[in-house]
Amino acid sequence: MGDMTIRLAGYSRRIAWRPWRLAGLSLLTCVVIALVSLACGRVWLPPGEWLAGLKRGEGAIWLIVTQLRLPRVVLAAEVGGALALSGWILQQVLRNPLASPDTLGLSGGASAAVVAYLALAAGQGGAWVRPVAAIAGALLVVASVYALALRGGRVTPYRLILIGVGMGALAGAVVTLMLIVGRAELASSAYVWLVGSVYGANRADAVTLGGLLALVLLFGVPLIRYALLAPLDDALAAGIGVSVPASRLALIGVASLLAGLAIAWGGAMAFVGLFAPHLARRWVAVSGSAQALAAVAIGASVVMSADLVGRTLFLPLDLPAGIFVAAVGAPFFIGLLIRETRTS
Amino acid sequence: MSWTKDNANTACGRVLLPVVAARNRADSGHIGAFRAGRRRTLGLVALGAALISLPGVAARRSVRVVTLFQGATDTVVALGITPVGVVESWQDKPIYPYLRQALAGVTLLGLETQPSLEDVALLDPDVIVASSFRHARIAPLLSQLGRLVMLDDIYRYRRTLSVTAAALGCEHSAMDWEIRLKTRIRALRQRLQRHFDGAWPISVSLLDVRANEVRSYLAGSFGGSVLRSLGFRWNPIQAGVGGVSLRLTGVEHLSSIDADVFFVMLHGDSAAVRRHYRELRAHPIWQRMSAPRRGAVVAVDPVAWSLSGGILGVMHMLDDIEGWLDDTTRRA
Repeated sequence: MGDMTIRLAGYSRRIAWRPWRLAGLSLLTCVVIALVSLACGRVWLPPGEWLAGLKRGEGAIWLIVTQLRLPRVVLAAEVGGALALSGWILQQVLRNPLASPDTLGLSGGASAAVVAYLALAAGQGGAWVRPVAAIAGALLVVASVYALALRGGRVTPYRLILIGVGMGALAGAVVTLMLIVGRAELASSAYVWLVGSVYGANRADAVTLGGLLALVLLFGVPLIRYALLAPLDDALAAGIGVSVPASRLALIGVASLLAGLAIAWGGAMAFVGLFAPHLARRWVAVSGSAQALAAVAIGASVVMSADLVGRTLFLPLDLPAGIFVAAVGAPFFIGLLIRETRTS
Repeated sequence: MSWTKDNANTACGRVLLPVVAARNRADSGHIGAFRAGRRRTLGLVALGAALISLPGVAARRSVRVVTLFQGATDTVVALGITPVGVVESWQDKPIYPYLRQALAGVTLLGLETQPSLEDVALLDPDVIVASSFRHARIAPLLSQLGRLVMLDDIYRYRRTLSVTAAALGCEHSAMDWEIRLKTRIRALRQRLQRHFDGAWPISVSLLDVRANEVRSYLAGSFGGSVLRSLGFRWNPIQAGVGGVSLRLTGVEHLSSIDADVFFVMLHGDSAAVRRHYRELRAHPIWQRMSAPRRGAVVAVDPVAWSLSGGILGVMHMLDDIEGWLDDTTRRA
């Protein structure tokens, strides 16, 4: 199928099908992984069997599939997808392949804020405090990183990353401090969350996070067209009528909200926001909404798979998904750094 | 007394199994395939019994209890019930030695902090004993898997005992334990009083030596509360501190744990912990403190004194203190 062009009065758009086909394919993979996740666990439940269990509306199979596995799979997908989209937006806007919630210190900021809340307020502030703290921490760090990296009105990629890594280390120090001053028992519970885990997810978690992410996307999706123009030269973008600073700021804000929300529910899940957009870029070469969608699908697939491995490989132990995400992500990051230094 | 032995035997740890419920359980063969055969047999026996007896007459079967923290496991065993699922112990994994015999063949549910919920669901428990301290986040899920009994804390053994017993209909058995506990504590307190005479009440520190810190458990902790009920006191610094434990990450504040007697637990059997303890004992501040000078540093088993969290653990603690008194009397 060739490309398609839509021309209406006041709206014209060329649609290339290939990127969308590829994005569709990654979405399909995502769905397959979700189905496998629903079938795997302490007991293997082939689709036919769990469908039958669903129809009955009660019993252990129904409980396991609808109350235990489904919310967990959905939450994993939401967390992974949100972090991946956050990373994709940051990489576009900052024109930097190394940008991600992790490398910009955004994850660190969110984690530090949440751990500080757990340590100082003993987590007594109601369900909304945790996400608000995570988002506030993320925004604070991203704002200070950007402000510190700004020199002569320009931000160079490596300066940004270096300062981001520095801020990340600072946030790490805050986390350590909070774990020491906090109650003795805080460490064990905070640690699992810091690594990134969707253990114990219930329907309310999945629905709340889904709703909030949808709300952010409602504002974020119309901004994606600016993200597509961001890799252009600032002057060129300004020339075709984009308010560069405003759109950049808005997009970074959206990326921080996405990452903050994801981290509030699922923990940091190191490097998903870095390598999911990269895989998407390699898979869907044309940068566009299709690529963003592919990034979301890949991010969701990675966290769902990591959680699947974490909860099945070492039964009855239930390990945090973040361990397995990091096990794939960290080598990828190192490889990327090596490649970047070679090319630059 | 208001209770009888007969009464206690039939009600404690048994659930009413009406005819309808028995039939449903036998029919749920779908899940039965994943379960131990014993369970199905039980269900069939119950069904048979129910069919033979007059309609509406109830049969009884053992209650299926899942315990999600160590103190609950200890307590349920103390009540004479074998849980169907328990979480792994913190040391001597997967089950503390003193419970191994009672818990032989019981399903392990993984870590106390992250129990495998699917395993819990498959066990189809009647009652789940958990603690909001550990399981607040998964409470909504747990309450769908069985009747959820939530303790606020994991270390208040008497509360764990009374709440768990009430949930299982074992109040009589719990009352027996309470009486036994009170009797033993009263006797031991009198013995301590006699032993230390004018020096009583002596001060105590219950120390947990870890690889890079020392924790001193205070009067509000599990072991501390037992020591307090025996009449031990804490030095003014520690008595003024709120919370369950005092964490010392260096030797500078070592003197704040000074006491007439130290009960010392080594956290895990690692080389790092043993090295830390060796270094501590060699330190001048340690050697100047009251307990080391009197030779009153007593090594105790962390399983009984801290990790067990239940009434059986308390009984072991009392045994240890009696043994220590015997020793000091013999030496004197």
